[in-house]
Amino acid sequence: MSAREQILGKLRQARQPFTDVQPIQDRQPMIPMAGLSAADQLSRFISEAEALGCCVYQVSPNEAIEQIMDLLDGDKTVSSWDEAELPLPGLRGMLESLGVSVGAHQDGDTRLGITGVTAALAATGSLIVESGAGRYRSTSLLPDVHIALMRAEQILPDLESWEEAQRRAGYPAFTRSSNTTVISGPSKTADIAHQLVKGAHGPREVHVMILG
Amino acid sequence: MTVTVESNNFIALADVALHNEDLQHAVGEGTRAAYYKRLDTMFATSSEHGESMRQQAAEAKRRALRDLPDLLEKAERNLEKNGFQVEWALDAAEANQLLLDIARRHGVESVTKSKSMLSEELGTNHALEAAGLRVVETDLGEYIIQLANETPSHIVGPVMHKTKAEIRDVFVHELGMEPTDDAEEMVAFARRMLREDFLKADMGVSGGNFLIAETGSIGLVMNEGNGRMCTSLPRVHVALVGIEKLVDTVEDYATLTQVLPSSSTGQKLTVYTNIINGPRRDDEDEGPEHAYVILVDNGRSDIYATKYAEALACIRCGACQNACPVYRAMGGHAYGWVYGGPIGAVLTPLFVGLENATPLPHASSLCGSCKQVCPVDIDLPRMLLDLRWDLVQAGESKVGWDMAMKMWAIGMTSPTRFNLGGVAARTGQHIMGEYMPGVLGNWTKHRDFPDFAPKPFRQLWAARRHSRVKERKNERA
Amino acid sequence: MALSARESPKGKTVSLFVTCIVDMIYPQTGLSVVDILEHIGVELDFPMAQTCCGQPAFNSGYRDEARAVAKHFFKAFKDAEVIVTPSGSCATMIRHEYPQLFNPNDGPNDGELFEQARRMASITWEFSEFLVEGLGIGDLELRLPEKECFAMHDACHGLRGLGLGRASRELIGNLGNAELVELNECEVCCGFGGLFSVKMADISNAMLQNKIDNINKSSAGTIVTGDVSCLTQMNGGLSRNKSRKRVLHLADVLAKGLEGIDGGRA
Repeated sequence: MSAREQILGKLRQARQPFTDVQPIQDRQPMIPMAGLSAADQLSRFISEAEALGCCVYQVSPNEAIEQIMDLLDGDKTVSSWDEAELPLPGLRGMLESLGVSVGAHQDGDTRLGITGVTAALAATGSLIVESGAGRYRSTSLLPDVHIALMRAEQILPDLESWEEAQRRAGYPAFTRSSNTTVISGPSKTADIAHQLVKGAHGPREVHVMILG
Repeated sequence: MTVTVESNNFIALADVALHNEDLQHAVGEGTRAAYYKRLDTMFATSSEHGESMRQQAAEAKRRALRDLPDLLEKAERNLEKNGFQVEWALDAAEANQLLLDIARRHGVESVTKSKSMLSEELGTNHALEAAGLRVVETDLGEYIIQLANETPSHIVGPVMHKTKAEIRDVFVHELGMEPTDDAEEMVAFARRMLREDFLKADMGVSGGNFLIAETGSIGLVMNEGNGRMCTSLPRVHVALVGIEKLVDTVEDYATLTQVLPSSSTGQKLTVYTNIINGPRRDDEDEGPEHAYVILVDNGRSDIYATKYAEALACIRCGACQNACPVYRAMGGHAYGWVYGGPIGAVLTPLFVGLENATPLPHASSLCGSCKQVCPVDIDLPRMLLDLRWDLVQAGESKVGWDMAMKMWAIGMTSPTRFNLGGVAARTGQHIMGEYMPGVLGNWTKHRDFPDFAPKPFRQLWAARRHSRVKERKNERA
Repeated sequence: MALSARESPKGKTVSLFVTCIVDMIYPQTGLSVVDILEHIGVELDFPMAQTCCGQPAFNSGYRDEARAVAKHFFKAFKDAEVIVTPSGSCATMIRHEYPQLFNPNDGPNDGELFEQARRMASITWEFSEFLVEGLGIGDLELRLPEKECFAMHDACHGLRGLGLGRASRELIGNLGNAELVELNECEVCCGFGGLFSVKMADISNAMLQNKIDNINKSSAGTIVTGDVSCLTQMNGGLSRNKSRKRVLHLADVLAKGLEGIDGGRA
């Protein structure tokens, strides 16, 4: 008998536990967000992301490009999602005109990574990124500095509302995408004497640019 | 190699911890910091809301356990739809063998691992290393533990028992780090060291905090990003998942993946809340080419059939360890196996056999903090009481206690005998003086014992009823 | 059992269950309970057959022995309308564990005993809970002879088993000349835990030393608690540590308040 059959057989033989469990009638979100206007959600998103240690900018596309130029520090390479996946046309051209090579750059040495987001969550200041063609997982992971480009319309109240939207859309982030990550601030650790240190393995800086 | 069980040495191991001031300081600080952060986050809205979230999480896990065999089959179908290859392992040997088979199939030489308590149960590192593979733990705490050749002492903070200076020494001695007392420099050093391992590894091994049945997804939470590295960069990804990690729906997952870090570190979400849905898709040029899930039993189906099934609801947040005054006083190693603290005192006898962990059910003052903080409301004190009962029934309790309890019950079932006991106690105390004999001497080792009253309450009551006011004045005078 | 579902104890005769430790070691605490209850006009009775609730055996896994003692308790209190006890721990035993011990699914298949266990559970009150929740008296209108500063230690079973804590703070807060401050980690166990304190004496002591550190740092001179077992642990440690601070049972503090009012105790 295979391990599978043995395990399932044992579980089925056991007296079923928790037969009296009462289903939750009034399912609640972890962080109540009901009734927040879009403007409230935006300001909540910004304050939560900043509390996590993100730098948040509300900028025009041109200002965003300027900000990114400011973040360059003699970098020869920049890791980036494909241009079609970013809400900032012209960025790639601008970087390349400065002699910067823009691409997936999964080498582990490239310092800047530029991604878009699938959605953002107001309650937790989080960014959701789905892997896919032209949307590299390593871009938000390997570089020291992660720059996330988004629009205010992408903000949802919370994780629950994002998952509700996924259910309505047939779970694209669960079946189409091989890897979906909800990012809440810079990588961090407190393993050494409970002292919080940013940039454990992933980015130590996260810059969120909300394009207007 | 099997994982050693030293739980019957609990008292001696605890004694070592109780004489290690550095450890006590480190554990005391770490547990308390997490305990208060949890309170802030879980009850940020209101105590009622936090409580209802606990109940929502508890219900989700219990419902999943109720339907476990069906959900496992459903999860398997959906995992396969997502492109995962699903394997099943009855015990540690099978799980490790499956891992080795996968490694051989894909010509794997080096493995990066993200944190997995299940792999600690299985002794996976030793099994892979024994087969000649290079295995690197990549969670910073686990990395330090691996370098120091120790085991994790806390579910979430594996190296909670170590001071900064001790960690510095591990890096200096094992890896030749330039000595520094700056935690940021140590983290940066580890980041550089591990970066190479991440990029070179052929296979990444992860655990799984949740397995979502309806979508066939692995839910993984982490703060450092090492788990993303292990599941994204190598050619092969294997997730070791205990069969109790099932959740039914995405809604259940949404609750649990937030309640977990809220209870654990007081974060609303961990930095990375990762949902893994199989190998890279055809149009991706990144991500593992092969993704496996090994569903591991390792004793869980046995526990499922007992009155302790509730222990399988545990989501490994460590909140009970942070809240437990026993754990706070001495950390997790004394428990002698993989899990320390209240959940360890329950899980260890269930996994390794009660006879191999007889002190653990007694390693609690039954203060109830563990149940109070548990995000899925596991009644740990109740299970500790039941295990104590099992010990007595199995004849594992000391003969002296059996006798003492029988005598005691005889004394307590008659007021006359109860009174005679009181007289004996008073006389005994008069003769013995300050220090008491036998096991009661353990009391006077650390504390004074009050005098038995010259007259018990019942005598005073009777006298008072006799002459209410007068007698009262004399007693108080 | 939810408090709201419990029958009001107002106007009923109270059968006092003083507990075995109070009977033998702290009879004055029992008298304090009597003084307070009589002061507010409660009719009292003390069933002389009482001994112990059985918790030491129950907590050690000796359920047969615990049942034997519980059955004796049923006999001793068979005529009781309301039971009041100055111990959150013993009250928890009666309220939560008796119905479990005699649950036909788990324990002996004896419906009569199960019914008695449930009745005992439904009529038993912890002292502070009885005053505040049961009778609705949060202010006893008592006054200490002189100013004193107190802090509460929330005994575990009362706090987490019965949800107490608020009641005793209210009673102390309304006591004339009493100042109430919070004790750091007031909700953390003192390390007693019944036989835990002798079976795992060194761990118990580590927990106790943490409690003593917090007591010594507190601005309160006296710590108030609702269980004499925790009190014994803490005072035993304070005395051994040569600390001047002491722990008192709530009833003893309140009874001192009788001394500061007209017509109270001299």
